[in-house]
Amino acid sequence: MNQALLALAFLLGFIGLLTFFTVRVRAGQKPALRRIRAFDTLKELMGRAVESGRMLHVSLGVGSMANQSTADSLAGLSVLNFLSDQAAETNTPPIVSMSDPTVMLFAQNAVRTAHADSLAGVEEASRQVRWIAPQPAAYAAGVMNILDSEEVDGTVMVGKFGDEYLLMGETAARHGMAHIGGTSDPNTLPFIYASAQETLLGEEIYAAGAYLKNNPANLASLVAQDGIRWVVALIIIGGVLVATLNWGWLWILIAVLIAVFLASIIVSWLR
Amino acid sequence: MMAGINETISWISRVGLTVVAIVVGLFVLADMFANQWAGEIFGIQGLKQIIGGVGYFLVIWTAIVVAFALLLGVVNVVNVHWGHIHARKSNSIYSMVLLVSLAVTLVFGIGGPSSSNTQFIFEYILQPLESTLFALLAIFIATAAFRAFRVHDLETFFFVLFAIIVLLGQVPVGLYLWSELPVIKDWILEVPTLAGARGILLGVALGTIATGLRVLLGADRPYTD
Repeated sequence: MNQALLALAFLLGFIGLLTFFTVRVRAGQKPALRRIRAFDTLKELMGRAVESGRMLHVSLGVGSMANQSTADSLAGLSVLNFLSDQAAETNTPPIVSMSDPTVMLFAQNAVRTAHADSLAGVEEASRQVRWIAPQPAAYAAGVMNILDSEEVDGTVMVGKFGDEYLLMGETAARHGMAHIGGTSDPNTLPFIYASAQETLLGEEIYAAGAYLKNNPANLASLVAQDGIRWVVALIIIGGVLVATLNWGWLWILIAVLIAVFLASIIVSWLR
Repeated sequence: MMAGINETISWISRVGLTVVAIVVGLFVLADMFANQWAGEIFGIQGLKQIIGGVGYFLVIWTAIVVAFALLLGVVNVVNVHWGHIHARKSNSIYSMVLLVSLAVTLVFGIGGPSSSNTQFIFEYILQPLESTLFALLAIFIATAAFRAFRVHDLETFFFVLFAIIVLLGQVPVGLYLWSELPVIKDWILEVPTLAGARGILLGVALGTIATGLRVLLGADRPYTD
């Protein structure tokens, strides 16, 4: 079978579900979201920093906007958008650091948009966006210096990270500062789990727009992702059964199951 | 009147950027599919080559934009650290060292990345410094483990239990304590850990696709928001 055609069909199915749920969410239907503590804490971090008269540090990681880590960088930018909007109300822009200059441009755009009402605010917020270094070790050293020497109350590190995360995470832990970490790389997750107070594990980082800003497209994509996840799980289980029992006809049953499942979701969202 | 004109210009630029982003995104996506497509796409002669050619040019442009962003990054570094020196911050001596190092590296690097001067800086200054920093990971892992090994609920209990088994299974003393420990360690790494990692990767893949589609459909516009 043509693999590209199969992938195209999958993508078109995903787009169909995404569009359908976006229309339904915009029409007023809201999905029930499970509680993620890291997002609850994130909403309070800026307020805490303002009360203590200190700043918040936001790390967008070592990812880029021009390779496979773009989605992780966009997830970090969603968090930055939310925090910048909060910061604009109190005029206390966060220190934003990143390892890739393309991400820097997006971060500058995000803080400028949030502070658009005041020219002085735009200048101050832009000054706090810092490109540190392209090498992960040098970037970690730069962030460690910020956490050590600047008046930072808490740090939020969401994006693409590798082993260097622990260097930064442990510095934050040593200072006892509020620390939220999140990445999609399973190899880095133990470091985040061990050093951060609140964690965003794996795909949770992509849910930032839905949880923090209630963006209809983000809410819809969570529902679409859940639907597709069940479909993939059914296909995996079906594949195991077919390979083990050598019952080729089982695929028909699985296809019917998937069709019934998707139809039931769509009908439940049409009510 | 002026406000109205500004709003119109802002709207046009927002729509323009979104259209450019969607069209470029669709072409690059089409190029990915075209590369994988067996034979001619839907039997149309030459379509594969056209999509491939446009996709190639767009990727080249990305490289140029990234190079320009790097230049802006250097300007940002100079700006930030010059600001530190100007404001006479407590650690501004480090900012001075950084700016001097930047200037020296730029002068030495004029010959290009493969010149002997640049190679010297990378081999004898940058790499040893990076290795030293990463060597700290050993200590940091120990302190992080010490903090993480405090059992306060069922989740942390399993975290600690599995960590101890893997730790003991990894070192020779584990074999002396109980000969089955390395076998259990291998099972933990190859079955539940791998299953968990694959579950996470499946979710990450779906999240990545959803993020990409939102940008592609213009629902997320990080370039204008």
